[in-house]
Amino acid sequence: MNWLVILLLAIVVVFSRYIFLEPRLPLRLSDRALHFFRYSAAAVLTAISGPVVFVHDHQLALSTENTYMICACVAVALAYLTRHTLLTTIISMGLFFIIH
Amino acid sequence: MTSEQYKSHNRKTLFIKGSYAVFPLILAVIPWGILAGSYALEAGLSAWESQAMSAIVFAGAAQLIAVGMIKSGIGLSTILLTALLVTSRHFLYGLSMRSQVSPLPLKWRLSLGFLLTDELFAISNPEQKHPFSPWYALGGGLSFYIGWNISTCVGIIAGHNIPNLHSLGLDFAIAATFIALVVPTIKTRSTLICVITSLLTSVFCALLNLESGLLIASLTGMSAGVFSAKVFGESA
Repeated sequence: MNWLVILLLAIVVVFSRYIFLEPRLPLRLSDRALHFFRYSAAAVLTAISGPVVFVHDHQLALSTENTYMICACVAVALAYLTRHTLLTTIISMGLFFIIH
Repeated sequence: MTSEQYKSHNRKTLFIKGSYAVFPLILAVIPWGILAGSYALEAGLSAWESQAMSAIVFAGAAQLIAVGMIKSGIGLSTILLTALLVTSRHFLYGLSMRSQVSPLPLKWRLSLGFLLTDELFAISNPEQKHPFSPWYALGGGLSFYIGWNISTCVGIIAGHNIPNLHSLGLDFAIAATFIALVVPTIKTRSTLICVITSLLTSVFCALLNLESGLLIASLTGMSAGVFSAKVFGESA
């Protein structure tokens, strides 16, 4: 039973990843569509992070006691100033685990 | 160097560059891999099944949610539908990378398709500095795959000895890496509008407990980006 779930899960995931990479799929993306998808990375990655930072226990957490928010602000500042992914990740994570 | 030697040297360099680019993301995902391993054991999967989750399914969020549902005895069709919803953002990645990946031979399409995670997309998306290279993407994707599977294996071996990882706030690691990746790509006003819109919408959807919040927020943010590019007169 578990193996069946694993196999079917894999099919669902691979399908979602592969289907639009298949050239025989009759789909030509217009320039407008391509322009739209240029924003997908920024939009999706932000939409994953947003709730992690600002929503705790189903509530908006905007107080200074929200370590997620404080450290996320530090990460934004670091990323903006240094443009260095590894440095930003390590410093902001380090800070988080010290004060959390 | 002959041109053949030059080519293979170049491939190797690109492959290593890709691995290097994905390295911070591997660091952030190690605790999650450990969690995926120990949580699967806890849910009643065997050690082999737990490892297979990471080796065959290879999808952090979908894996953890599916394991949680197996544990609570939820039916197969609900598990699969939820997985489809969680994994639906990959449709966007596929569409974004279609122009670069679909002309490649089948073995490339299948390898990169299988390895196409949030992390791989983040390092190889069109807004990054480098032009798209399959070798770069393969280096990043494969390194991430190995990192994810080794950390799952560690989780399985450690088993129930893992303390409650959720209480440590590991989710911040993911947010931190995504911030580190997104912020430098904000070079136009329309991208900034896209990010702000996506952020506000995602928080709003999370407060409403909407299951499809991620997708709604992403599409709203992308639309805001296109719309504001038009308003600001940015060239498409």
